[in-house]
Amino acid sequence: MRGMKFSFLCRSKPERTGKRVAIIGAGPAGLTAAGYLVCKGHDVDIYDKMPEPGGLMLFVIPEFRIPVERVRLGAKELEEEFEVTYYPRTKVMEGEREDEGDEFYERIVKLSELKEKYDAVLIATGIWNVRRIGIPGDDLEGILSPLELLFWIKGHELGYVPKEKVPDLEGKRVGIIGAGLTAVDVAFECNRLGAEVEMFYRRTIREAPAGAYEINILRNRGVKWFELVTPKRVIGENGRVKAIELLRTRLGEPDETGRRRPIPIPGSEFQVELDYLVFAIGMAPTPPVNGSYIATDRRARIVVDSRHMTSVEGIFAAGDVVNGPTKVGRAIKDGLYAAVSIDRWLRGEL
Amino acid sequence: MMERKYLYLDYLTCIGCETCETVCAFIHDGSPNIRIYVTENKQYVPINCKHCDDAPCLRVCPTHAIYRDEDGAVRIHEDKCIGCLACLQVCPYGVPFYSLKVKAITKCDMCAERREEGLEPACALMCPAEAIQYGPLEMVLELVKERRAKNIPEHQRELSDEELKKSIVSGYSVL
Ligand SMILES: Cc1cc2nc3c(=O)[nH]c(=O)nc-3n(C[C@H](O)[C@H](O)[C@H](O)COP(=O)(O)OP(=O)(O)OC[C@H]3O[C@@H](n4cnc5c(N)ncnc54)[C@H](O)[C@@H]3O)c2cc1C
Ligand code: SF4
Ligand code: SF4
Repeated sequence: MRGMKFSFLCRSKPERTGKRVAIIGAGPAGLTAAGYLVCKGHDVDIYDKMPEPGGLMLFVIPEFRIPVERVRLGAKELEEEFEVTYYPRTKVMEGEREDEGDEFYERIVKLSELKEKYDAVLIATGIWNVRRIGIPGDDLEGILSPLELLFWIKGHELGYVPKEKVPDLEGKRVGIIGAGLTAVDVAFECNRLGAEVEMFYRRTIREAPAGAYEINILRNRGVKWFELVTPKRVIGENGRVKAIELLRTRLGEPDETGRRRPIPIPGSEFQVELDYLVFAIGMAPTPPVNGSYIATDRRARIVVDSRHMTSVEGIFAAGDVVNGPTKVGRAIKDGLYAAVSIDRWLRGEL
Repeated sequence: MMERKYLYLDYLTCIGCETCETVCAFIHDGSPNIRIYVTENKQYVPINCKHCDDAPCLRVCPTHAIYRDEDGAVRIHEDKCIGCLACLQVCPYGVPFYSLKVKAITKCDMCAERREEGLEPACALMCPAEAIQYGPLEMVLELVKERRAKNIPEHQRELSDEELKKSIVSGYSVL
């Protein structure tokens, strides 16, 4: 197998410009931007809080979708052929905030420090914050974050997470709320590890963001699919999840996304017993700032102009941290066009 | 003639991430040749020219504007194309499209300019799922088999080498 070739635009590094760029976040957006910038002769350093570059592609998305080696070899090529330097286990932050995956970092660097040290900075830190649902009992033991669960499972296979950390799911009843890419991947992994998986979604399979095709594969594997239900509260026993109480829903008029709005039906409550519960209902951007230094909007996305530049001159941003949850291709597109801007800005053309 | 190359898109492995379309658009002024279609139940289907071995478009073109280059890519002589769209009618994948800008049919040329500089097609280099393979037939065959072995059982197929080759060459003249 060969790696992704992030430097697909050139064969080797051209003459050096002497300009230095720091990239924060080694996901598809950051790595693709690095590939473009090294092809333009700039020196690139990449900071990431995880132990290895790759972002969600490496640590979260299952191997059967994106092979580990494909990402690993790609990141390695940037290092070996294009002299990119990685600073793993390094969280970049101005201010303080806890995000998913923080257990892996060993040091913190300030964004403002990088701004001083480099000619340009690109932020590509993604959406490493899992949305909380805000219902009674949603903090009981046995409620797992979808990202954490996927890190533990894949991180263990990659050799970063000890076995004790991965919950033993064999024969356990795992409930998953949601029907997006994350919900489906959690369902695949839990099913593979021998759990009895049940998925709960407030609309129908036709509206499910992950699509009927994927969900039907899971159903054929024995995953139970409940549609038109919404969680009301989590029921615990001695501080641990015991069951979930759900309400049935019906679909009303289309909402702003064009999908029919689920309306809970009063008095339709019922309970399902569970050992673990995963809320895979969405993720939010994690910029390396907390409310100051660079501008973010009310959904925590970094605000950029048409050049992908943030409110601070010389600091750019790309990928899910700007757009909210998207897909690998969209992150790569953003990384590429942000890198075009950085190169032009460094040359004084922008 | 150099060794014939193939560009194979494996529907069973594609995750629909649109990276191929993105990088193709990036190097073609925003107009991608490869595109991802999504079925009603959300299966992702990357569609691109297969550079068929026995290419119907090449055979039907009345002005011989379509030719095969030395790597095996099916290419267009833009100045010979009269825009009759006969090629679009016979292409099993509906690939060729008329470009008002170029005033001729355009489609994937297997990254002709890049190949001249010794670079491979960008989509194959960047697909994170390794669903796009580029190279000589035997190599593509091996890579597709190796990659499919990592797929979930639902995305595997019991195919003989001959059957898989037919799918790769899309036209049976080599067999
Ligand atoms: C479970 C799941 C399944 C998915 N499946 C698919 C799929 O099948 N197809 C598809 O196209 N897309 C899929 N996606 C979406 C896709 O993974 C993302 O859109 C894409 O990875 C975003 O790329 P990015 O570079 O913006 O961010 P990321 O890939 O998230 O990379 C961000 C990087 O920044 C690092 N980081 C974060 N904060 C800091 C900090 N403060 N300091 C230093 N480093 C930091 C992280 O460690 C990470 O390496 C899936 C997402 C999830 C969660
Ligand atoms: S890049 Fe690969 S996985 Fe992504 S859409 Fe294209 S063929 Fe499919
Ligand atoms: S028939 Fe269609 S797919 Fe085959 S070579 Fe011609 S344009 Fe490409």
